[in-house]
Amino acid sequence: MNPDTIKRYIRKEFSGWWMISMIGAAVVLLPVLFIFFSIFTEPNENWYQIQQYLLRNYITNSVILVGLTSLLTAFIGVTLAWLIAAYDFPLKKYFRWGLILPIAIPPYIGAYTYRTMLSYTGVVQSTLRNEFHYQVDPDFLAVSSLRGAVFIFTIFLFPYVYMITRPFLENQSTAYFENARLLGRKPLAIFLKVILPLSRPAIVGGALLTVYEVLSDYGVTSYFGIHTIATAIFQTWFGMYDVDSALKLASWLMVAVIGVFLFERLLRKGRHYHLSTKSRPLTPMKLTGIKAGIATLYCSIIFLLGFLIPVVQLISWSILTFESIWNDSFFTLMTQTLYVATLSTIIILVIVVVVANVCRSQSAFSYTLSKIITSGYSIPGAIIAIGVLALFITLDNWLAPVYSSMGLGKAPLILSMSIAMLIFGNVIRFMATGYNAVEVGYEKMGLKFTEASRTLGLGKTRTFFKVDLPLIKGALFSGFVLTFVEICKELPLALLLRPFNFETLATKTFQYAKDERIHEASISSLLIIAISILSVIVFQMIERREKQ
Amino acid sequence: MNILQIENITFSFSKKTKPVINDFSLSINSGEIVGVLGSSGSGKSTLLRLIAGLEMPTTGSINIAGRPVFSEKVFIQPENRGVGMVFQDYALFPHLTVKDNILFGLSKLTKSERITRLREMLELVQLEGFEKRYPHELSGGQQQRVALARALAPKPKLLLMDEPFSNLDADLKEVIREDLGIILKKANMTCILVSHDKKDVEAICKRKIMVGKSL
Repeated sequence: MNPDTIKRYIRKEFSGWWMISMIGAAVVLLPVLFIFFSIFTEPNENWYQIQQYLLRNYITNSVILVGLTSLLTAFIGVTLAWLIAAYDFPLKKYFRWGLILPIAIPPYIGAYTYRTMLSYTGVVQSTLRNEFHYQVDPDFLAVSSLRGAVFIFTIFLFPYVYMITRPFLENQSTAYFENARLLGRKPLAIFLKVILPLSRPAIVGGALLTVYEVLSDYGVTSYFGIHTIATAIFQTWFGMYDVDSALKLASWLMVAVIGVFLFERLLRKGRHYHLSTKSRPLTPMKLTGIKAGIATLYCSIIFLLGFLIPVVQLISWSILTFESIWNDSFFTLMTQTLYVATLSTIIILVIVVVVANVCRSQSAFSYTLSKIITSGYSIPGAIIAIGVLALFITLDNWLAPVYSSMGLGKAPLILSMSIAMLIFGNVIRFMATGYNAVEVGYEKMGLKFTEASRTLGLGKTRTFFKVDLPLIKGALFSGFVLTFVEICKELPLALLLRPFNFETLATKTFQYAKDERIHEASISSLLIIAISILSVIVFQMIERREKQ
Repeated sequence: MNILQIENITFSFSKKTKPVINDFSLSINSGEIVGVLGSSGSGKSTLLRLIAGLEMPTTGSINIAGRPVFSEKVFIQPENRGVGMVFQDYALFPHLTVKDNILFGLSKLTKSERITRLREMLELVQLEGFEKRYPHELSGGQQQRVALARALAPKPKLLLMDEPFSNLDADLKEVIREDLGIILKKANMTCILVSHDKKDVEAICKRKIMVGKSL
């Protein structure tokens, strides 16, 4: 291309919308670049110590947790999805959406609930002891272990696999399933030979989400005393105030995340199935007798363990502590959480509405832009937090002369002590949630209305306000709810980036649990669960609307 | 007077694929109604999108009413080209009434001018009394006429119509074709009409050109 045609191309595409998009991408990339470059910095003494004595243990634990959890969530998620999609049995209608509910319980809340329930004084052991005079082997019920952490992650994260696989099986597997039956295969053989391979992309996609959750977890592992790379990041920062070593650990975790990402790419390579998109929904087969009983039992056990038991336990604790907790300081807690989540969500939506609009014209540039903007979701909260922390401290150092000229003291930490840091971190981490929702909205409306408006003499911006915005309102709403909920739940990011003495529902809950004030943690836990159920409802609404 | 002057334009969707439009030239005078015929995938809709500025050719030049809108150094945005377009599925804004759809492109006029223009347009397409309806409350033929009124309202120098009859029932088609011919003449519009159906073009257009492989 010669310079003139490049100029002409820029004249066609360039506008304020591009500028804002570029700034958005820079915002996301900056902290990640900070982490990336820390790989090349000179390590300090702490780091040698970590590397020599601890790193191997951290990595082993992380790998075990990720490996076992992803296998188990895939197994439970897929078997449940297949049962619900292909069969009819008692209570199925309720399990169909009830099995999504465990996702509403953040694993760290599940972790302390189960540990307390199963402890010596907890409801399980004391009932067995007092009513049945039976003393359980304490090791058997020891949840504070790798085994326990795998259980907690699996039981609360399997809905990721279930949620993605079930609609896929319900809507796209019919032709293959019916053909296989006509060819004389039994249902189990069909499941193993046809359904499983076909739904692999959905299963891997769901399992990948659980991997990201486990890698970024701080709540469960630190509560159970399991050392992983993510908990180590916290220790080096809170224990030693050593940002450089924390950055180095974060870069290691980053390598792990990129490794997982590439591994998944490798798995997918050369396996592009073209599935018929226009397909009748699967007609479920009726199960009877013992088979129906087993199906109902399996779903019931998972539902009880993953939702009902912990929630009932939390409710009973909250009744005990309601009066001492439900007061002014709790309302402050709620307003602070609302404030941070709302502000972060609004900033996210403004950025993603602009970027997703720019990305509607398909080009290599817009593809890259959308990938950058959404990259935060696959980066563990702890990494983003450390990147943001390092960035803000650097900014404060740069701005020190400005501060002192304003009479604020010699080298104060203004930005890195402010709420801006937490909001900045939230924006990066949860940009993808908002982006995906808004992108769906743009995709559904297509380009024709926008183009019609352009030929009627309205520019990009006026077209956006008069045509695009009113038509993506629904998508914007679901984007708001989904993003808002994620931010309310997020623990590691909030713990690392909140200003001194600033608590959110998530951090306060975790603080109570850490201080062994489990009963006091129950009300805020229930509130977080209730907020999370909101997003489950929105997901359901979206699914139903798509069916119509 | 020459309204549209296209010289040697080439367009392809990506660098790897063969150009859909290759070294294409066309000249249209004021008041002409030109039919563009071609099979699907022959690039006839793309031609309209290039003229409207929704896509950009790789080479060549386009002049509209004597003003260059595309050349080696120039690219004029679609909103500044003074071209009206009726989309294949009409693309009526679903959140706006018939009235607001027609008024959409008239924001530069004063309020009273806008209302006069709205009245003229409704009369032209014979939809008086339908102002308050939403697009989904109209029949296919009515939707088409709203789309036409909306495109004509800002007085474009050139009107582009992309398969205007493809969404209509066969028995309606003939009547609507006739009506359209009358409306276009009344408005003294210069127009390019794209279709895959010879009969459409023969009924309305004085001049027809073929694009694509069938050439």
